Amino acid sequence: MDTPMTHRTSTRPHHRRAVLLACASLLTAGTAHAQTAPTQPAATAAPVVDKSIPKIPAGPWQGPRLPDGQPDVSGFWGPTFGSYLNLTDPEGISSGERQRNLPPREQRAPSRVSEPADGQVPYQPWARAKVQEYQTYYSNPIKPEYVDPLARCAPPGIPQALYMHGHEIYQYPGYVVFLFDQGTRIIHLDNKPHLADNIKLWNGDSRGRWEGNTLVVSISNYNGKSKFGRSGEFVSENVKIEERYTFDRDGKRYNYEARITDPTVLTRPFTVTVPIRKYTEADKPRPVVYAVREAKHAGKETIIEYAEERACIEFNSGHAHLPGDAAAAR
Amino acid sequence: MTDAPIPARPPRGACLLAAGLMLLASQLAFAHDAIPRLPNGKPDFSGIWQTLTPADDDLEPHAARKDAAPGAGVVEGKFIPYLPQALAQKKKNFEARETADPRSKGWTLGVPRGIYYPEPFQIFQRPRDLKLVFQFGHTVRTIHTNQTEHPDVIGDLLSGDSRGRWDGDTLVVDARNFTDQTWLDRAGNFHSNDLHVVERWTYLDANTVEYKATLEDPQVYSRPWTLGVILHRHREKDFQLIEDYRFTLDFDQYYPPKRDKN
Repeated sequence: MDTPMTHRTSTRPHHRRAVLLACASLLTAGTAHAQTAPTQPAATAAPVVDKSIPKIPAGPWQGPRLPDGQPDVSGFWGPTFGSYLNLTDPEGISSGERQRNLPPREQRAPSRVSEPADGQVPYQPWARAKVQEYQTYYSNPIKPEYVDPLARCAPPGIPQALYMHGHEIYQYPGYVVFLFDQGTRIIHLDNKPHLADNIKLWNGDSRGRWEGNTLVVSISNYNGKSKFGRSGEFVSENVKIEERYTFDRDGKRYNYEARITDPTVLTRPFTVTVPIRKYTEADKPRPVVYAVREAKHAGKETIIEYAEERACIEFNSGHAHLPGDAAAAR
Repeated sequence: MTDAPIPARPPRGACLLAAGLMLLASQLAFAHDAIPRLPNGKPDFSGIWQTLTPADDDLEPHAARKDAAPGAGVVEGKFIPYLPQALAQKKKNFEARETADPRSKGWTLGVPRGIYYPEPFQIFQRPRDLKLVFQFGHTVRTIHTNQTEHPDVIGDLLSGDSRGRWDGDTLVVDARNFTDQTWLDRAGNFHSNDLHVVERWTYLDANTVEYKATLEDPQVYSRPWTLGVILHRHREKDFQLIEDYRFTLDFDQYYPPKRDKN
């Protein structure tokens, strides 16, 4: 950084560094698996991962409500399995990762593409070729378009944000607000018209409504620039996305479904499904997934608060995390 | 004939007095109820806010420049009480402002700059906290209002750590643990990572908030000093924040992949 300001060694908490390293590793392909990926074999026995997609039927909401009438679904949430690195094989090997021994495909977590039934994105041939090209050059980004926008501190976008790390849901009269590591989505519940079509956004422009236990969100104005994972899947700026967040009655799980329609790159629409679980005071903090601490206060009760800053840390230090060549390629 | 008693007619003066008292009472009630409140009675700052002052061009009094509208300044006492070495740094920053201003790179504005930067920000408020979402950078700052304190161990943060309390209807916020990577305006006014900010947020009426920030930084200023701006509520029909990830514009054109032209 060439600003005439003093520098000081960062004293950020350790797990913040984990995020930084995870981001940095996006480009140091083959040398490090993202530290955040739960697929990394642990030194001790790994906990049993629930890879099922629970049945949560849409229906009336029978849980608690907020004073404005919304179902109360506020809190910390995160995906139940897999990493964000690979869309169609969430426990498989993705671009830039070292080879490792894998159990057979049927024992690994299912594709996040739940429809069509083959679990693959129904791409037009040219678009599939672009995905393969991205995968080929991920480790050696000889062109700027092979650098993951995430490594440049762009938001993970839709739907990647829902299966990358954890997130928080806040609710206010007229709004549901999603906070991600990098990126914030403000869902407007008042049915105001969407922004003009020429405005394209990393987080899209969202309008939502509650149908019983399901938050239904229509997204327009999406810029299509984020990937769906290191595996490189993408859509265009002409995409329309309808999301359904269906919450179970005891507030422990929700299923996220995104119906993605884009005649520019697809031969037909497809659906992404992500099972998501709640994190509460009963859970131990986990870097990036549930990065909380106990707040300091005079009272006796346990107050949990998010321990990180929701800004991409690299973003105020230029592109220092990019290798020289990739940075120069910008 | 009826047996009902005829009510005694009250003296005229008493009527006027009563009417006057009622009017006063209703005005008091109006003054009390005129600002939005949460169910717990605390002022509710939820809404989309923006200042009209050119504070972000330069907090201090300044004539028009090619890159700044003139401004009378928003600093109490007109000028920031820099220590001599810091004043020299500020002048260097000013000369290099076109490229050195973190804002020109789209980086997080920090505190208090995000509040008077000339783009809207939205406050979402609950009894336990306020979330401030800034259009510029789409960053989020949390002000805790649940009697919690600054953590004992915490790193430097772009927007610091903010703990609020209520002084009557004024929200008083203590913010610290800042990085030195943000500026205060486009004129190169700056701080170190010893910055400590105390903010006071007070409704003037339902759509206007007085914002004051007292900045203390023994590495940079000879004494604490205070700036003040007025924030106005956006009331345009269907007004909403539009994310401004300006730092992405440098690489915007590389995504998404395009179909090759044959």
